Amino acid sequence: MTIQETPSPPSLPEEVEEVPGREITLTVNGRPRRVRIEDRQLLVEVVRGQLGLIGTKVGCYNGDCGACTLQVDGEIRKSCLVLAASADGAELTTIEGVGGPDGALDEIQQAFWDNDAFQCGFCLPGHLFATRDLLDADDDPSEQDVRDALVGNLCRCTGYVNLVKAALDAAQRRRTTGTADRRSIEEEGPRPADACTLHRGPRP
Amino acid sequence: MIRTPLRYHRPRTPDEASALLVEHRGDVAVLGGGTQLLPQMNRDQVHVGHLVDLRGLGLRRIEVTDDQVVVEALVTYADVLLSRDLSRAAPHLRRVAHGVTGGRQIRNTGTLAGSACFAMPGSDMPAALVGIDAILRLHGPDGAREVRAADFYVDAFTTVLRPGEFVLAITIPRTAARTGYCKVKHSSGSWPIATATARRLDGSATVTLGSVHATPLHVDVSDLASNGPVDRAALADRVRSALPAPWTDVLAPGDYRARIAGVVAARAFSELEGVPA
Repeated sequence: MTIQETPSPPSLPEEVEEVPGREITLTVNGRPRRVRIEDRQLLVEVVRGQLGLIGTKVGCYNGDCGACTLQVDGEIRKSCLVLAASADGAELTTIEGVGGPDGALDEIQQAFWDNDAFQCGFCLPGHLFATRDLLDADDDPSEQDVRDALVGNLCRCTGYVNLVKAALDAAQRRRTTGTADRRSIEEEGPRPADACTLHRGPRP
Repeated sequence: MIRTPLRYHRPRTPDEASALLVEHRGDVAVLGGGTQLLPQMNRDQVHVGHLVDLRGLGLRRIEVTDDQVVVEALVTYADVLLSRDLSRAAPHLRRVAHGVTGGRQIRNTGTLAGSACFAMPGSDMPAALVGIDAILRLHGPDGAREVRAADFYVDAFTTVLRPGEFVLAITIPRTAARTGYCKVKHSSGSWPIATATARRLDGSATVTLGSVHATPLHVDVSDLASNGPVDRAALADRVRSALPAPWTDVLAPGDYRARIAGVVAARAFSELEGVPA
């Protein structure tokens, strides 16, 4: 077999339009990182591309599916809706940063595992983050609270029944083991589940 | 991936922001929460060479005083839901923020001012702001000016914002008005098909409909409320006749929106008045 010599690439024109970019600083799962990005890059592209953290998935690029969910400065966000340049200086937690250092599952992940709460797993990071976000604010949610908290995440395997079961089970485990974050919810304060008017009667 | 090269700007002052918007006029957009703009850029529907991010200006405060509530441009729906002061002073905003689609992630990202500026007919904010007499505080190359939400909307996706201008804050006057809200959407994850903000203050009664017309539709129904609750049958007639050209998009045809508009208005008053529709 002969190896053909690769023709040398055509020489690039002198004036290649420079793609604007910059270096940004992020704290990713507790570790400081400096990353070279293009200004046009979305956060999800930087997390998967430059940082190699491919647990965060790309689904719809439209803010609908929630597969790209991660935490930015403690708030869950869909990372396809965040421009990476705008996140300069932020603290990120991706799904890789959720479990134990030895790869052990946290209580929510274990509850999802035990309840068969995922099939292909593509939507899993989003559902795990949304569940965690709910349970951090409310350690004893109702089934409707769970459904409302997961409303920004789509599962194309349609495994919603087990997802809800798993989230309720995770809440139970957290209460039992005493790891529930019992942050008090003020009488007048919002409930994370106040998400969806469709399922709720009017609130005067 | 956004296919065209893009330059990101993070100005430090409102004047700097306006200067950038003027300098790159026609090839620039303001980045607020990004929930509308970034997907459109990613789909190649919006092409701009420059983005002006307002993050460097702060603009994340909610300020409640005796006579008004100020919601700065980068305040998110979640910020509104988490503010007890705002819940007391402008309960309608909280009521509307509850039903915003897309889950907690979107409520942590989307901004009220961004939605107001996007002026999409099938969305909550424009009509809700008109319905509570909100005022938009703008900053531009010639300085600041204020525009009533009712005067802000020119057409679908079009506002009175001039080149170089952007919204600094939304101001809501504190009044003794009572309000009610109703929104109809196809599913928990879809955009509104019709919304209504009902409002009563002293002798006046108004309803502001959203998603049923290119711009928010404000209807005075004070004369239908002289003896207690607003007359429902007359309300439906009034709303129908105020809606000659209902909004049509992929989610619902105009004639459907026109048909439910009266019911949605009635339900908003039912919430306000505490009587069944």
